[in-house]
Amino acid sequence: MLSEVLGKFKEDYKDLITVRREKKDRLYFYVEDSRLREVVEHIFHKLGCRLSTATALERPDGFEVIYHFSHDGSGVYLCPTVFIPNKDNPEMNSITPIVRGAEWIEREMMEMFGIKFREHPRPEKLLTLNHPEKVDKPLRIGGK
Amino acid sequence: MSWYTKKLAKSIWVFHVSASPCNNCDIEILDLLTPKYDLERFGIKLVGSIRHADVLLVTGILNKKVAPRVKYIYEQAPKPIFVVGVGSCPASGTVFKGGYNYPSKVLSEISFDIYIPGCPPKPEAMIEGIMKLVEVLNA
Amino acid sequence: MERIIPVGPYHPLLEEAEYFTLKVDGETVVDIDIEIGWMHRGHEFISESMTFTQSIYLVERICGICSTSHPLAFVHAVEDVCNVEVPVRAKIIRTLVGELERIHSHLLWVGLAGHFIGYDTVWMWAWKYREPVLQMFEIISGNRNHYGMMRIGGVGRDVEPDSIPEMEKILDEIEKKMDMLVKVVRDDPVLKSRLKGVGVLKKEDAINFCAVGPTARASDVGIDVRKDEPKDAYDMVDFEVIVLPNGDVYDKFVVRVLEIIESVKICRQCLKLLRTERGPVLNKVKEIPPGEGIGRYEAPRGEVFHYVRTDGSNRAVRHKVRAPSYANIPTCKASCIGIPVADALITTASVDPCYCCTERAVRVIDEKNRELHIDLLRLSREKTERIRREA
Repeated sequence: MLSEVLGKFKEDYKDLITVRREKKDRLYFYVEDSRLREVVEHIFHKLGCRLSTATALERPDGFEVIYHFSHDGSGVYLCPTVFIPNKDNPEMNSITPIVRGAEWIEREMMEMFGIKFREHPRPEKLLTLNHPEKVDKPLRIGGK
Repeated sequence: MSWYTKKLAKSIWVFHVSASPCNNCDIEILDLLTPKYDLERFGIKLVGSIRHADVLLVTGILNKKVAPRVKYIYEQAPKPIFVVGVGSCPASGTVFKGGYNYPSKVLSEISFDIYIPGCPPKPEAMIEGIMKLVEVLNA
Repeated sequence: MERIIPVGPYHPLLEEAEYFTLKVDGETVVDIDIEIGWMHRGHEFISESMTFTQSIYLVERICGICSTSHPLAFVHAVEDVCNVEVPVRAKIIRTLVGELERIHSHLLWVGLAGHFIGYDTVWMWAWKYREPVLQMFEIISGNRNHYGMMRIGGVGRDVEPDSIPEMEKILDEIEKKMDMLVKVVRDDPVLKSRLKGVGVLKKEDAINFCAVGPTARASDVGIDVRKDEPKDAYDMVDFEVIVLPNGDVYDKFVVRVLEIIESVKICRQCLKLLRTERGPVLNKVKEIPPGEGIGRYEAPRGEVFHYVRTDGSNRAVRHKVRAPSYANIPTCKASCIGIPVADALITTASVDPCYCCTERAVRVIDEKNRELHIDLLRLSREKTERIRREA
């Protein structure tokens, strides 16, 4: 039953997604920034998955933002990934209007890496708000 | 001042500040009040306001955001106040040494009297630390 | 007229530094806002400069209460990258330590909840019966907390066969006292009138905020990593997942107490399996190939999630940690609206917040900047006294 669900998902969205790595219960794939909200809407509302968290990481040629959605009941993870090729002013669409639990996660990514999320309801710092010293994008290479 | 500290040693009131710890030392401090170790038989109790306290118990690495608040509490305390650092974190920062949130510039302005090392220190070790303080006050 | 009450960061009642702002209208809470960052120590940054084995010790110190859950989730993530086979005896020892930690953490919360509502007897008794559990930890690993037992590919220490009968006797003692606790929760009128119907979290809110653990299970969302993705010895033992429908503080209390009973059952089965199962406890891993892995574990507060990206060297390129309280604390925005101020503290404490996991004196000022004095702890205890007199 699970492999049917995954197979149908890959078939329905095969124009939008590019599979990057596939294991027995993990599916990592790339999505374009402009189609991210459609895919997330399908995963969250139709498949009933739950957002665990999101990871941002810096590569020499840009940034990658990976969302981790858990299909409870079977233990499978669906991970849509967005690649941002711009290193000076990285920006992408926020999914907080669809999944309310993503608010804190995206605020932390904004603070640690400097990625701007469009249409985020509260784009302010989370962990270093009112900090006495200036802490600027600490997890970037060369950040402080 | 020695007549004052001798009276103080009979029943020390402690204020506990948790300045970014991992919470283990805090739970072991609360454990000291439970029936197995029962610190209240020595007259020691935890109070809710720094103005009532004789000893300030600090746990955690005192990260940059929280350290100015701890200094503010230290200044509000009625002197003489004795500062005890519980755990290896206030003494040296343990595994968090390479981080960007440690050490704070304010750390050198708070003078610690006793350090109780351990990660976390056993309750028996903490009782021995407090008893050393009592001995010093009695001398 | 709306007033704003700041609570924290150093408040006589709260153990950790937390900062809430409650907006009140008369006696009812209208909105709540939370500021965090007092505990932020920079784990993800430090983890990039440490090897995998050193990271296990770093990750243990994210939180003192869930100090098995974080290393287990991290070790699962690295094992997901390199697909190593863990020996059966190591799996059983991991499950035993994890379930003992669940018992000690839930007993800790029961004690603190009693202390918040002014019922200090519950606090002293719950923590007194927590001591035998810490004694069992000392027999297995040598320390009451922060055991340093997990390794990639197994565990670091073996359990001596002579210590198993002693541990079974301690488990019998714990079980008798837990039966008493279940009766207290079912029959005590003060607990019922204080906690029933307070701070309700509805099912749609629990799903929208992506809540996990007992916070979600008390709102009719039945998720549990131990059943969804059974690793270690969870497919060799029998247990049930407790799900309740109402979502108030009383249901969260009952879920935790019943989970303690299930954990005692699992520990007994593990000890029985340890008598017959022999073999090595560690399968050494020489090299971690480049790749990425996800590992999770059901901590006492919910699902702990670790993501690791490797490039073939002996350090992680990126290590992301998500603790359960990160998802549970924002649910306060939905469950704290419309409750009286005296219940605000127990509602925010009912999600069992662990601020050190999440991040890595009350003064009331009204709009004309006049100062009034309100003590949240005193309000909470006065309400309990009132209820006792009327009962």
